[in-house]
Order: sequence, then structure tokens, then C-alpha cells
Amino acid sequence: MGPLIPQEIIGADWNLFIAFVIGIGFGFVLEQAGFSSSRKLAGMFYGYDTVVLKVFFTGAITAMLGLLFFSLFGWIDLNLIYVNPTFLGSAIVGGIIMGAGFIVGGFCPGTSFSAAAIGKIDGMVFIGGLFIGVFFFAEGYPLIEDFYMSGSMGPLKVSEVLGISGGVVTLLIIIAALIMFKLGELAEKRWPRAEY
Amino acid sequence: MNLRNIIFIGLVLLGVVIAMVPENTTKPYKLTAEQMLIEVQGAAEMVIADDVAHWLISKDPSLQLIDVRTPDEYQKFHLEGSLNIPLSTILSSENRDYVDQGIKMNVLYSNGTIGSHQAWMILRQLGFENNYVLQGGLNYWFDTIMNPQAPSVTSADEEFAKYDFRKAASGVFGGGNAETLTAPTANEAEKPRVIRKTKKKAPAGGC
Amino acid sequence: MKTSYMNPYLAGVLLGLVLLMAFFFSGRGLGASGAVKSVMVAAVDIVAPEHTANSHFYSKYVGEGKEPMEAWLVFEMMGVLVGGFLSGAFSGRLNWRIEHFPGITAKRRLVFAGMGGILFGFGSQLGRGCTSGSALTGMASLSVAGFVSMMAIFGTAFAMAFFVRKNWI
Repeated sequence: MGPLIPQEIIGADWNLFIAFVIGIGFGFVLEQAGFSSSRKLAGMFYGYDTVVLKVFFTGAITAMLGLLFFSLFGWIDLNLIYVNPTFLGSAIVGGIIMGAGFIVGGFCPGTSFSAAAIGKIDGMVFIGGLFIGVFFFAEGYPLIEDFYMSGSMGPLKVSEVLGISGGVVTLLIIIAALIMFKLGELAEKRWPRAEY
Repeated sequence: MNLRNIIFIGLVLLGVVIAMVPENTTKPYKLTAEQMLIEVQGAAEMVIADDVAHWLISKDPSLQLIDVRTPDEYQKFHLEGSLNIPLSTILSSENRDYVDQGIKMNVLYSNGTIGSHQAWMILRQLGFENNYVLQGGLNYWFDTIMNPQAPSVTSADEEFAKYDFRKAASGVFGGGNAETLTAPTANEAEKPRVIRKTKKKAPAGGC
Repeated sequence: MKTSYMNPYLAGVLLGLVLLMAFFFSGRGLGASGAVKSVMVAAVDIVAPEHTANSHFYSKYVGEGKEPMEAWLVFEMMGVLVGGFLSGAFSGRLNWRIEHFPGITAKRRLVFAGMGGILFGFGSQLGRGCTSGSALTGMASLSVAGFVSMMAIFGTAFAMAFFVRKNWI
């Protein structure tokens, strides 16, 4: 029963190696999907290329379903997997700043690495910017530490907040995503761009 | 039918299935039936009343008594320092950290041994360590520790030593034959080793 | 150059499977910004160890027995570089270029890429994760933080798209 390393079915020494292999899969898929192109990524917000929407939501939904089905078959113990803790204030403000960074820079950290891997210099410059931004945060930490730690709600799950099961949440997201995909495809027809 | 539509339909079907199926919240059993049989026959989980009395008197910090009876019974009487975790609540998530841990030695007790043993069986099968059963429960505790019977004159010396210890102990606990109030100095009761376990915590994650 | 990318829905399914494997093996999801933080912390620690020891931020990662570079995400991102490279090689997309909308100069693109990176670097630390670590992984584990992140990031990007449209369309 998974997760294999926390349950000590596989030794903890394998963890970093597994991280590397998973990273290869991650980078390969990102690049294959076209996420190494900042113009494709930004296209989401101008309607001409909704690849971000499709890949992102399909990916999240696939993993959601995967986790729930694995749990159903007794292949994974959902109590032992990491659930991102919710710190409401910093999540929102951090998200806003990241959103700005996304549309200004045309990348997010994961995609910038896959872009850099195929030789995109703008991806590399973005990565350089990442280091600087993280450095600013680290140095300015004492000023925002209180805000950073505020609004802690623990590893809260949507299913707990809404009082419905994880499966129902997943189904609702699937339906919402399909609607968004449809809208996305309409948008692409409406605002086509030349190949890039 | 193209790939995209296959994926769409697949996701919707899977979504409907997973929404309808009740969530699997069972905790898996870690020990097989054979392993449980061996453990039960070995009876290593039993601790005797005298030892518990000694640990209570010496204020041993690694001892944690757990009363598995109902809250009403707990209110009427409970051993000093014990927690009340009624058998019906023993699997709840709030109590998980008490029964699944590697720091203290939990001694479960009830009026006799049935209730505490029922609790112990469940916890042991889930793979939790460091839980023990008070032999004889509160009934035996009252009979021997709180109201110890003087041994007959022909008994062995050990019997007298035990009796002296129990008399003094009952004094400390506020029992019947309190002839002396000085805390007894019995031999160091051999304590089962607390199995320190690296708690299976969810791993760290994040950015 | 016409490039043929994978069907996005298929790519999404594969991405979800990779994420699922991460959970299944290591009990955690993907991420990216954390690797940048780890490398940065390690670098600062080499240059100024007293500073890191005294700082609330750095001291969490350095000190006795702690090795900031031996982090899951650092190894994962090294894998991402390899995986991205393999995919680019496989599909014939390997070349040095500065990709930008023809209506602006390459230099302008780089300036904005740098600024975007700085914003994203800061924001990812504040938000405890980026789109991979918080939004994607968080949503898969149904965490509220994941959904909040996702909505904040995408919402803001949509809202600001108008102001930087000259860079893209």
C-alpha cells in the first residue's frame, strides 16, 4: 500500500532518485505539450491558445481520480500524502503576485526550466529572475513573517469545507473543466494566430 | 471518435463512478491473523497491578493509563492520571495520537480484563505499539492494591514483601488498610521497553 | 517552423499520471519554485554562513545536519531539465533562441522575462508554491490552498493581460 516511501516499503534512500525520474517525466510531458513556449503559455490569456487550460485541468483531474481510485482499491493511504496547508492571506497575495509574474514573464517556474532545457534564452532569464525574487523574499522575510504565517487553516481539503466527498468534488470539477474546454476551443477559433 | 472525445467521456465516466462510491476510510490491518495468534499466546501485553502501582508512586513519566470504560464509569472512579478513551471512540482521529505513538507506555484498563483486552486487540492489529493491558483490571486493583489481604503466616517471604508493598501503596492511593503512609521502596519494577517508532508522518511537500 | 505538439488532453493525462506516481512513491506531488529556493539558500549559506544562521528564513534550511541541496525538488528539477531536453531532441525543437512576439524586440522580451521571474520568485515563496507545487498538486490532493492559488494566479493573469498585451498580440 502506498505511498511507498513513507510506508517504508521502499527505502528512503531511493527518494531523491525517484524525484529525478519523476522530474524527467514531468519535463518531458511539459515540453511535449508545448509549455516550453512562452507565447503558447500567454496565449491562454488572450484566447488564441488554450493549451494551458487543457493540460492543467486534465492533469489535475487525472491525478485527483487516480488518488481516489487508488485509495478505493486500497493501493494508497490518503492520510499519508502531503496536503498543502492553507494560509489564506499569503496564498491569495502570493497568487496575485505570481499571476502578474506569469503574464509579464510568460512562464512559471516549471515551464521555464523545460524552456531553458531546449535552449530558450528567455526561459533562462526568467529563471535568473526567479532567484532574485526568492532572494528578495528571503532577505525581506522579517518584514512579512507575520503576514506569511497568518490565516493558518491547516491542511484543509475542499471536501471537508463543503461537506461532500472527494469523489463528488472531482465530478464537479470535471464538469466545470469540460465547460471551460468547450469555451476555450471556441475562443481559439475566434482569435486564431499564426503558427509560432 | 477522436482522442479528445475518448478522454472526455472517460473522465466523465470515472468521475461519476468515483462520486457514487463511498470513500474508503478503513485503516488497513497490519498484522496477520497468525501474527496476532502468536502475540496473544505470548501474553506479553499484560502488566500486573503491582508494577503499575509502583510506577504511579514513583511518578514514572512514561506511564499513561487509559480508561476504556464509559465516561460515566470514569467519572465515578478512575485511576489517578488516567485518560478516558471509551472503547467506542478508540478509532476516532482525535484519539489517534494517544493510541498510536512511540513515547509513552499506555496501560489500558477496564473493570475486568475483557474491555481493555478488546481495545488492545484492535489497536494491536492496526500495528500500533506500546499498548498494554492491566491484568485483572480495576476489580483486581481494588482487591489486591487497595485492600490487600494479609498472607497467612506460612506464606513465603515474597508474599510478605508484596503485602507490605501493597499496604503502603494503598495508603498512597487512599485505600483501605492504610497502616503506614510512607511511600514504599519496592524493587525497580521491570518495565516493558517503549518501542520508539519513527512516526509515519505525512511527508513534507510544498513549493 | 511548424512544430507539432502533443494533443493537449493526452498530455494532460500523462501529466496527471506523472503526478500520481509522485504521490504513490514519495507521498508528495510535484513542484518547482522550492528547488530555486534550495539552491539559493545553499549559495547564500556558502557565502555568508553567519547571516543564514541568524535569519528566520534561512535557518530553517541550514545548520547541523541539514543539507539544503538534498531536497526532493532539486533532484526533480534536474530531471525536468533532462526530460525537457529529451523531448526537445525527440521533436526537433532544440535550438538557442529568444522566443518573442514579432511585434517587440528580443531585448524587450528578455527584460520582461526577467521582471516576470522576479515577481514569480517572490510570489511563489509567499504563496508557498507555484503553479506546479501549489495549484496543480494542491488541486489533485483537493487542498483548499491549491484552489485558492490557482484562482489567484489565473485570475490575476487574466486581469493584467490587457496591460501587457503589446508584448504578446
